[in-house]
Amino acid sequence: MKTLTIILTDGPYISEYAQIAKKIAEAALKRYQVNIFLYLDAVHIPRKGQKPAFFADEGGLFADLAREGAVIRACSRCAAARGYLAEEDGSSQDYPDGIKITSLYDLPVMIQGSDGVITLCR
Amino acid sequence: MRSVFYLLDTAPYGSEKAFGLLNAAAVSLGKMEVTVGLYGDGAYLALGDQDSRALAIPNLADILRAYGEMKVIVHEPSVVERGLFSEGLVETVELVDEEAFLEAMEGSDCLITL
Repeated sequence: MKTLTIILTDGPYISEYAQIAKKIAEAALKRYQVNIFLYLDAVHIPRKGQKPAFFADEGGLFADLAREGAVIRACSRCAAARGYLAEEDGSSQDYPDGIKITSLYDLPVMIQGSDGVITLCR
Repeated sequence: MRSVFYLLDTAPYGSEKAFGLLNAAAVSLGKMEVTVGLYGDGAYLALGDQDSRALAIPNLADILRAYGEMKVIVHEPSVVERGLFSEGLVETVELVDEEAFLEAMEGSDCLITL
């Protein structure tokens, strides 16, 4: 099975990239393995408990993606800098199940194993 | 993917992008063929005499020097347009013309811009 990796760097709502990534990933998951790497401000995207008044809850969208089989990983340095702490297994009480805080070293591993890479950033 | 081109087109300080890009490129070394391309305002990252102490941010020129094995190219027209041609560049950075810069981008399996 071919693999697609999506890299995000923007936080939620400041751009539409999280929602665009969700649409691309959801379509791709019908045929491909999908990895999503959350870098820089994108580590805010999966945070639980978001209640935007006028937008879709992007944390909820990414929780759905994880349930549907997407491998979603967040950079540990970026996450720690923004107050998200990981348990030993990479899970975080701030994140939905299945979304893990891991090392930046996962990024080249994801890229290396991919047939296509999409970077969404401003 | 066997090669990756990390493209920086924003200034080195004022956002986390350049620092993030260098870190991503550094962890890719040894796994893939890595090229960092400095274009537009990204050309400022090539300057050798950077002093970031007042910003409480790592000196990004020192990071370039620390990863001397990393291939870093800077787009010569961007350097010239910004009046940086006579400035000293980081020793490991290669100045390339437009054609060579585009060839390096096109020749990589994957393009990542942050």
